Amino acid sequence: MRDGIAAAHRSIPAVALVTEDFWEQGDFVALSFSMPGIPRVRLPHPIAGTGKVAMTHVAEAYIRTIVDALKGPSNE
Amino acid sequence: MSEWLQSGTEAEALEWLHEAGCTDGLPVVIPTPDRVARLVVATGMPPDQSLGVMGPAGCTATIEKVATAAVMAGCLPDHMPVVVAAVQAVIQDEFDLTEMQGTTHCTAPLLIVNGPARAACGGISGGYGALGPGYRANASIGRALRLAMMNIGGARPGISDMALLGHPGKFTYCLAEDEENSPFEPLHVSLGFDPSDSVVTVLGAEAPHSVMYSGDADLEDNAERLLKVLSIGLTNLATNNAVLGGGAAVVALNPDHANILAQARLGRREVAGRLADLCRFTVGEMKTIHAGFAGKADPSTVRSCFADPSQILILVAGGGGLYSMVMPSWCAGSHRNQFVTQPIVMNEFCEIPVASS
Repeated sequence: MRDGIAAAHRSIPAVALVTEDFWEQGDFVALSFSMPGIPRVRLPHPIAGTGKVAMTHVAEAYIRTIVDALKGPSNE
Repeated sequence: MSEWLQSGTEAEALEWLHEAGCTDGLPVVIPTPDRVARLVVATGMPPDQSLGVMGPAGCTATIEKVATAAVMAGCLPDHMPVVVAAVQAVIQDEFDLTEMQGTTHCTAPLLIVNGPARAACGGISGGYGALGPGYRANASIGRALRLAMMNIGGARPGISDMALLGHPGKFTYCLAEDEENSPFEPLHVSLGFDPSDSVVTVLGAEAPHSVMYSGDADLEDNAERLLKVLSIGLTNLATNNAVLGGGAAVVALNPDHANILAQARLGRREVAGRLADLCRFTVGEMKTIHAGFAGKADPSTVRSCFADPSQILILVAGGGGLYSMVMPSWCAGSHRNQFVTQPIVMNEFCEIPVASS
């Protein structure tokens, strides 16, 4: 989340990839930085350590959502 | 300034604080305006004076808010110089407080107090059981910092503090160096301070790990054996220090173990240097467990766990005997989990005006 916020502060298009277990922490961080609308995509948990095949599967399943989040609501 | 809540009784107020997530789970002293004002006065600073911003919530740590946490923790006015210095320490950029509060790792700020403040600020223990129960100053000062980190910094377990299990030092984690029973110069003197200075050194650290060594003065390599077993505890391949590298760590030598090293003519600098030499792994060793972290370097490549021996903090504390302690660290964050030192200012703290109107 903080990486995404840091990128957004530098006017770099960013979307934070947040797993299910860390979604609430994402809410907290977004609010504490006064950026509740920072684009986020909710991923299943866990991602780390699940292996290349599983990660590729997640990437393929979510790539469209991530790209859409990067485009922002005005482009929908 | 703070908002004040109304409650019919202290019991009701306590339940409200528990329900609001403002406690560490244990009962707290209710921070009434009078109690908070008493500790604010003890700091000699105005209530709205800012010490800095505490993450991840990004709230300003005013003296009044810090005093509120200190009241809740059970602090006495004498404790306040150390509490204030501890808060000043963790909000330094080098401490990476915001990242540390949110990590999944088990890390808590370990407070090491040196100098006259050990006696002047409530009697902070560095002796038998200093990290256990029974010492009010140790317990209250460390707890005050934790409550400040929760209620000013916004750390809430499972919401903004994502430690997977945490460790008991997240309730309180404070001790003094036993300078009087140490064969070495005090830790803060090694860090460039004057012996008459009071200093708190803070590192985000894991829980203490016991290191057993039964010394034998008949052995020529008595000190080397002790150093080897300390290095095993400090940086085995289960620790972040070994796998991630680049961070700091603490070695708390009991006085007997410290004397074994001193009798071998090893000072603090030499001990840290030898430990740094011993705390190394080859890439091949790392690959057997942590293939992703080991990288693609040649398996014979040797990696040091510490960028510099100065990253190994050595203090003398506890009772004499078989057991010393090591505290590995997180080794992440922008500054790789560095320790910070903060002078404890005592001469600006005034007497409590007991006869004032």
